[in-house]
Amino acid sequence: MWIEALIAVTLLSAFAVFLSPDGAAGKLAFALSLLPLAGSLWMYSTYEASGNALLAGSELAFEETFQWVVAGDYALQWHVGLDGISMPLVALTTVLTSLALLASWTPIDERQSQFYGLMLFLEASLLGVFSALDFFVWFVFWEMVLVPMYVLIGVWGGPRRKYAAIKMFVYTNLASLVMFIGFVALVFGLGDVNSFDMPTVAQALRGGELGSLGPVGPDALKVAAFVAMFAGFAVKVPVVPFHTWLPDAHVEAPTPVSIMLAGVLLKMGTYALLRFNFTMLPGVAQDYATIIALFAVVSVIYGAMLALAQSDLKRIVAYSSVSSMGYVILGLVAYSLYGLGGATFQMIAHGLISGLMFMAVGVIYNTTHTRMVSDMSGLASKMPFTVTVFVAGAFGYMGLPLMAGFAAELFIFLGAFQSTVLASAPLFTAAAMFGIVIVAGYLLFAMQRTLFGPFEVETDYEVGHAAFHDVAPLVVLILLVVALGVDPGIFYDMIQNAVDPLVKTAGGGA
Amino acid sequence: MAALPFELAPAIAALPFVSFLIALLVGAFAPRLLPKGGAIPGILATAGSLLLSIWAFVAVSGSADGMYHEYITWVAGAGEATLDLHFGILLDPLSTMMLIIVSLVALLVHVFSLGYMNDEGETGLPRYYAGLGLFTASMLSFVFANNLLMAFMFFELVGLCSWLLIGFWFREEGPPSAAKKAFLVTRFGDYFFLVGVVGVLATFGTSMFVGSENMEAFPHIAEQVLAGEGAVEVTTFLGFEPQAWFAVLGLLILGGVVGKSAQFPLHTWLPDAMEGPTPVSALIHAATMVAAGVYLVARIYGFYALLPQVLAFIAFVGGFTALFAATMGVVKKEIKQVLAYSTISQYGYMMLGLGAGGYVAASFHLLTHAFFKALLFLGAGSVIIAMHHNENMWDMGGLKEKMPVTYYAFLSGSLALAGIVPFSGFWSKDEVLYEAFVHGLNSPLLLGAYAMGLLAVFFTGFYTFRMVFLTFHGEPRTDTARDPHGVGWNVKFPLAVLGILAAVTGLVNMVPVQKLLGVEGIDFLHQWLDAGPEVLSAHHYSTLTHDFAHYTAGTIGSADLTVLLSAGVSLGLALAGAGAAWLLYDVPEPVRHTDRLGRIKTVLFNNYYQDEFQVWLAQGVTLPVAKAADKFDQGVIDGVVNGASSVSLFGGSRIKRVQTGVVSNYAFLLTTGLIVLLVAFGIMGGWF
Amino acid sequence: MVPIEYYLLLSAAVFCIGVFGILTRRNALLFLMSVELLLNAANINLVAFSRFHGNLTGQTFSLFTLALAAAEVAIGIGIVLVLYRNFDDVDVTEATTMRW
Repeated sequence: MWIEALIAVTLLSAFAVFLSPDGAAGKLAFALSLLPLAGSLWMYSTYEASGNALLAGSELAFEETFQWVVAGDYALQWHVGLDGISMPLVALTTVLTSLALLASWTPIDERQSQFYGLMLFLEASLLGVFSALDFFVWFVFWEMVLVPMYVLIGVWGGPRRKYAAIKMFVYTNLASLVMFIGFVALVFGLGDVNSFDMPTVAQALRGGELGSLGPVGPDALKVAAFVAMFAGFAVKVPVVPFHTWLPDAHVEAPTPVSIMLAGVLLKMGTYALLRFNFTMLPGVAQDYATIIALFAVVSVIYGAMLALAQSDLKRIVAYSSVSSMGYVILGLVAYSLYGLGGATFQMIAHGLISGLMFMAVGVIYNTTHTRMVSDMSGLASKMPFTVTVFVAGAFGYMGLPLMAGFAAELFIFLGAFQSTVLASAPLFTAAAMFGIVIVAGYLLFAMQRTLFGPFEVETDYEVGHAAFHDVAPLVVLILLVVALGVDPGIFYDMIQNAVDPLVKTAGGGA
Repeated sequence: MAALPFELAPAIAALPFVSFLIALLVGAFAPRLLPKGGAIPGILATAGSLLLSIWAFVAVSGSADGMYHEYITWVAGAGEATLDLHFGILLDPLSTMMLIIVSLVALLVHVFSLGYMNDEGETGLPRYYAGLGLFTASMLSFVFANNLLMAFMFFELVGLCSWLLIGFWFREEGPPSAAKKAFLVTRFGDYFFLVGVVGVLATFGTSMFVGSENMEAFPHIAEQVLAGEGAVEVTTFLGFEPQAWFAVLGLLILGGVVGKSAQFPLHTWLPDAMEGPTPVSALIHAATMVAAGVYLVARIYGFYALLPQVLAFIAFVGGFTALFAATMGVVKKEIKQVLAYSTISQYGYMMLGLGAGGYVAASFHLLTHAFFKALLFLGAGSVIIAMHHNENMWDMGGLKEKMPVTYYAFLSGSLALAGIVPFSGFWSKDEVLYEAFVHGLNSPLLLGAYAMGLLAVFFTGFYTFRMVFLTFHGEPRTDTARDPHGVGWNVKFPLAVLGILAAVTGLVNMVPVQKLLGVEGIDFLHQWLDAGPEVLSAHHYSTLTHDFAHYTAGTIGSADLTVLLSAGVSLGLALAGAGAAWLLYDVPEPVRHTDRLGRIKTVLFNNYYQDEFQVWLAQGVTLPVAKAADKFDQGVIDGVVNGASSVSLFGGSRIKRVQTGVVSNYAFLLTTGLIVLLVAFGIMGGWF
Repeated sequence: MVPIEYYLLLSAAVFCIGVFGILTRRNALLFLMSVELLLNAANINLVAFSRFHGNLTGQTFSLFTLALAAAEVAIGIGIVLVLYRNFDDVDVTEATTMRW
């Protein structure tokens, strides 16, 4: 009941905000968003589950199943539930949405009720993605996410918003299509498993029940479906070379939308990779580990190099997201306990930290009306508080110990280093780890130029202190990042509990 | 349950952390409530840490097993082959000694800052004291860390504090740039360190420095594996044999050491770091943070002692850095620059000592250097206050009469730095060189490192006294030097304390005297470092270097003669260097004698173009590669994406021309389609 | 009795004339007439097969077609009128505003 209530309340809030007058929409939306936030925190506090949602012998939290549509042999069911992988992501979604809504008060000044309504609609779809356990329900939510996102970028975005919005929509939608074909082919290949229920399909696939589909034998089908799904999700993550929509979308999107995009939407890709590719077809994932690890390492290093070349603060953070998400792929492909657990933990950590960075860049933009590194210097003397938070966030991004990013990266490196499925794992790990040097490089360079030195800004606006509702969410995020860094167990224990069965039943390192 | 001082051990680091929080929060929200901009909480906290450290020191010496070890689980791994990560406190002779050094210097630096920062009317004092508090807390946590991972975490945090404090004067151009460079260069070293930490955890399943009931220490496991004892097995990677794999791990960890302790080639950040306030240079970039690297090697000496190649590498890097940095110190004109290069050089000595098997000698030098170098920096700070923040030695001169306390304290530190008997530096440097010498007699590589270290002694004597004479002797060369700004008690008090310490600390370990005169029991430090648990004791380490690295002490003539020879040569060289400086610079109007070196001076003055090389690596190589990658990304990868859309758009724009709007055309197309269909069906159905 | 092939040939000829008219004429009224020819070609087929099979369904159906043709002419002429009103002509190639 609770998940349905969560989604329904969010949807109803979205409609209520749609209908509210412009002036009140922001405050109303924030107030209403506290409901799902409180709900998810309540769910976290009463969370009791064990095992992985897709595998046998698991005990899910807030699970709910009923028949929905029966079409021929196939029954579609409404199936939702949370395990240690999805619970943290649901919490992340509600937390980030509330904070992003708060961060919208300053930059969003037209069509407010529509904007806030769409943000809540986005939240509802995201909650659906992370809690759905039937493929069709999941896919509906997955596609539903794109709609508000497209509008949010296309209407409230920067000068090239239409280009960015269409690029994002078409690119990711095309990818969804490829992924959809891959998954449906798998289900048809399973023959008498007439269900799109994800646990059923996963257990059948792991049980080796895959047959032929037409002229395609089970082994080829597995590989083809894996490739299709991987390509589909890789666009969402995004993995180099499927990443070019992301910087464009980020640069054009308004701050709160960037927060949601980097903080939660990218995690859909890695979440789906973990749920589908790495849970359902572990054999293929392990056979092709070297190639996938290569994608991961290239994403990390190449993404970081691109960030180094940028002169727009937002583009820097956008490319560094590509780099950070590469770590997630590395952790996944390692297929070890720390690898998979660290990858999931990195989704949360990066969600918070990238949200923080985009928010901080947004606060700077609100006051200076520029994001170009070359247009400003010495902001620290004018807005000390914002700069302090920016610095803290940047060091979080660099993986400073006792902040969430370090814990996540450490787990991933530990898992990847001792991976038994990846040949020469230590070399791949060491190569990817070099990202921590480059990330320090570009963030320190950017900070030195924009925040320090003599004060100078190349705009006509007066630079003053940021509003309270601009910096409050930053402080909340920093506290969360530090809390997770000091005690990763807040989420890591349940994550570990959910990925442990994956490793156990499919081989792999400790 | 642990005895009282041990229960309070976390407070050693927690107290400065609280002072950080006070300075940060009160400074941000109610700055007027903060006494002295945060200095008072800082002084109280570091004084508390010092007292607790001394108490812990006493308690360790009185405890049964000579140490205190307690830890909690930070992250518990699930599954069968669990890998848990821990936080813990290890108090043993080495760490308690270091705790006292750090908290004492931190306390004195806090007091000195009252004179250097508060009295000079700096703004942003809460930020300054918050940085100092956080630094002290992180450094103390690093010192008592009981495992490599925790050590790494605080190793990084002190790097953050270093960044914050170097860049304290952020409104200027220089400090932020220097801060960035310091963080980046050390980060480069830390990258290898992190790979090493991950490798150690993956190899041994633990990174503990010392064993406990349910977990072995990783150096101990390594020792057992290499000795082929029992059924101990470890996972090695990439097809390495354990010996070679351990050497790889040792070298990786060494990356962090080289970065933090400013060893060649990652030494370039330290001279730039002098952009920070001088008390910060004294605390972070002389006495403590830079010592972190050397301390780390000492901390896991049980691991390095097993690896002869790595030891030789450490010794060679150390000896080379000692000489290399000393030569650059000779030509600098700013007082803090001279001290910076001398710091690099002195840490080279410690590395040399560690690499040569002189665990006690290196720790000894770490101890004495912390005091005399902190003293020299604070003395320089006092001079800088007097000179209205002019650091150029050529603008000084004749300050001896104007500021006697500073002069005599500075002189004490200089004599120690140059290694003149009986000041502390003599005893420790001599022991380092002695260890390198006797072990070098059986190892040509070590002998080479020793030779470089020995040569550096001459340069050390020279640049130290060049600095002293230029600053304090002769005639004042500028108006500010004629009428310097006075300094208060808060400057003089730390100088006096450290001045005395720099003079007498050497007495804690007078090994040569013991050997020559046969007075037993005056090598207190040696006994102290030998007193802890067996696996962390000095004699265990010498057994290891002997058994695994095959270090044996050689002699020339008799043992006594060797001791005399080593001490005599190094003292003679130090005196020669000091004497040369005395001849050249202790005159009323000194001239720039180093100009006579011609192009050599230019090379030295430009630091062998190491900075240019690294800047070129960053801006001449990395940045163009990044730009090229960006071009590639925008052009090729995004080009393909946009190309796909252009192709569809172009195709659509052509094909849509079928829609002419002329009904007859549509009718024609319909008819054609029908005919084609009919023909197709006809052919397929075999009608023809 | 006349063989069925003759009727079919006749119907095909009428159909072709209709198609030819549609493809070549530009006058909307001639278009309409050609469409009538097409319909009637179909009618001929229906009636012929009805007689050939001895089943009246085809003839009944051709009655429907006649009614349909009448309705079609009504609408068709309406379209022609609108065409004339908007373009001052009944030339179908003139009215090309509904294109890409």
